[in-house]
Amino acid sequence: MTTTTPHQHPSADDPRVLLDDQVGAFEAVPPYPPRTEREAEFYSLGDGEMFLNMGPQHPSTHGVLRVVLKIDGERVVDLDPVLGYLHRGVEKLCETSDFHHIISQLDPLEYISSLFMEWAPVMAFEQLLDVQVPRRAEYIRVLTGELNRVASHALFQGWMALDLGGLTPILYSFIERDEIVEMLAAITGQRMLFNYFRVGGVNGDLNHEFMSRLGDWMSRATAQNQANIELLNDNEIFVRRMRGIGRLDRETALRMGTTGPNIRAAGVPFDIRRAHPYSVYPELEFDIPTRGHDGGGDSLDRYLLRLDEVKQSLRIIDQCLHNMPDGPVMARLPRLLRPRPGRAWAAVEAPRGLFGTYVISDGTDQPFRMKIHDPSFVNLQLVGLLMKGNLIADTMAVMASLDPVMGGIDK
Amino acid sequence: MDRSLRKRLEARFADRLTGPVRQRHDQTEIRIRPADVPEVMRELHDDPALGFEILADLAGVDTGTHMQVVYHLWSAGTPDWLRVVADGMPRDDPRIPTLTGLWPGAEWMERETYDMFGIIFEGNRDLRRIYMPPDYTSFPLRKDFYLPDDAARSPGGGVRHMEQTHTPTQATPSVVRRTAKA
Repeated sequence: MTTTTPHQHPSADDPRVLLDDQVGAFEAVPPYPPRTEREAEFYSLGDGEMFLNMGPQHPSTHGVLRVVLKIDGERVVDLDPVLGYLHRGVEKLCETSDFHHIISQLDPLEYISSLFMEWAPVMAFEQLLDVQVPRRAEYIRVLTGELNRVASHALFQGWMALDLGGLTPILYSFIERDEIVEMLAAITGQRMLFNYFRVGGVNGDLNHEFMSRLGDWMSRATAQNQANIELLNDNEIFVRRMRGIGRLDRETALRMGTTGPNIRAAGVPFDIRRAHPYSVYPELEFDIPTRGHDGGGDSLDRYLLRLDEVKQSLRIIDQCLHNMPDGPVMARLPRLLRPRPGRAWAAVEAPRGLFGTYVISDGTDQPFRMKIHDPSFVNLQLVGLLMKGNLIADTMAVMASLDPVMGGIDK
Repeated sequence: MDRSLRKRLEARFADRLTGPVRQRHDQTEIRIRPADVPEVMRELHDDPALGFEILADLAGVDTGTHMQVVYHLWSAGTPDWLRVVADGMPRDDPRIPTLTGLWPGAEWMERETYDMFGIIFEGNRDLRRIYMPPDYTSFPLRKDFYLPDDAARSPGGGVRHMEQTHTPTQATPSVVRRTAKA
């Protein structure tokens, strides 16, 4: 018997399965009627237009993002990002976890800059509990946080080049990231999901291995940064594929809720570290680099701005090491945290922008509601604006320059 | 705490505030009716004396008795975050005007809030689910949605409530064990 009758389960080897039984999940057009005005408009084709499904497994989507492109020839007419492939319901889980447990729930959000995912919630909990964090703990937070920022931006640089077809830079990026990650592993015990910040301080003081690794790295970090810059910035293909693509102007950036390097590359000097100072940032000297003053920032500006930020982070790390005070790294707190009923909001400047947390406490050891605001989620909305009229191949350049991380977007 | 911001807000929005202006740490909080949101937000954004030009966050809250939408705004003119709480939406039919006319970037945040709470943002032209699948019928962050392993709180003793239908317009009688003054 070689035929497959309808009531039999079709074999995956049967070529007719691919011919006449198209699987709905991989079709670009959804199998249900449009739910909104915008969806109806998007899924109706004009003359000469067609749909192209990109993802959810496409390597340039930085995770599992599906983008439905409406194309006319090689030009993108419109696009519709489809999210939710990584949704884990972290906010719901936080409502049934106690305040210590939550910190470890949040690490995998933006898994390449995990310390910032711990920082904002911890700050919000400290407000609810009215805890004063020891100064040494604050300095350690800034020091490790800025190291994490350098690692995150290093990886961004490699990814950016990888999405444009260059394989070499990501190998160098991973070398740099690996050095920092090993350094942080010496102090936190983990390479990626650090689970290091605590309500009222940090888990563990600086140790010898961390300091010696940091000293080694600092002695060549500036030169390494310069080498990374020279590796790509003079590459003509790299520059010409990004210059003038995905131009974002100041007003649009503000209205779209953009934060982080993307808004600073559009000429707005909005950085939470200066706009709403927290921790010990007011005591530290650093600049807020901006770009794109000639009518908006393109993909190249967003790329270059992150390289500028790495220099500022190195300055901050240097100052932290020189100004590091002595003292405890944890405030004295009971083991079971029961803040009084109230509300708190805290935001930090993560490598991708404003990472905020809104917490409502009802007096128990678990938050009543915990809202996580992820910068990538808001920034990803920009692809819909920036892609229109560009070539399909430039989708990757624009999306990579926005630097989204799907773990945070899908929560 | 920025006392002058408090005075300015009280003077400006006196008739539209539904409660006192509260301040704690670096946050100032005002409460308004959902219908006043577009007008109040536009004044907060456009008035150069206030200048709240960045929408930092938009969050839905189910207090157990009613629904809220909470906005956090940033301005260069004050050291405080401004929290605007649109309060008092009924749980069975929560509706609020959209903010996408002022901040187009609020579109996805409103979609997320709709997806999680079923709050309907009137005027948002793309209000569909963003995380959950399109055929999903519940709103997971509502307080009458219990996780399967949260048996101690669940009225069904741990029976999975995931497939239970909650539509804001035809709500089933809901059981809420945990409420808060939010």
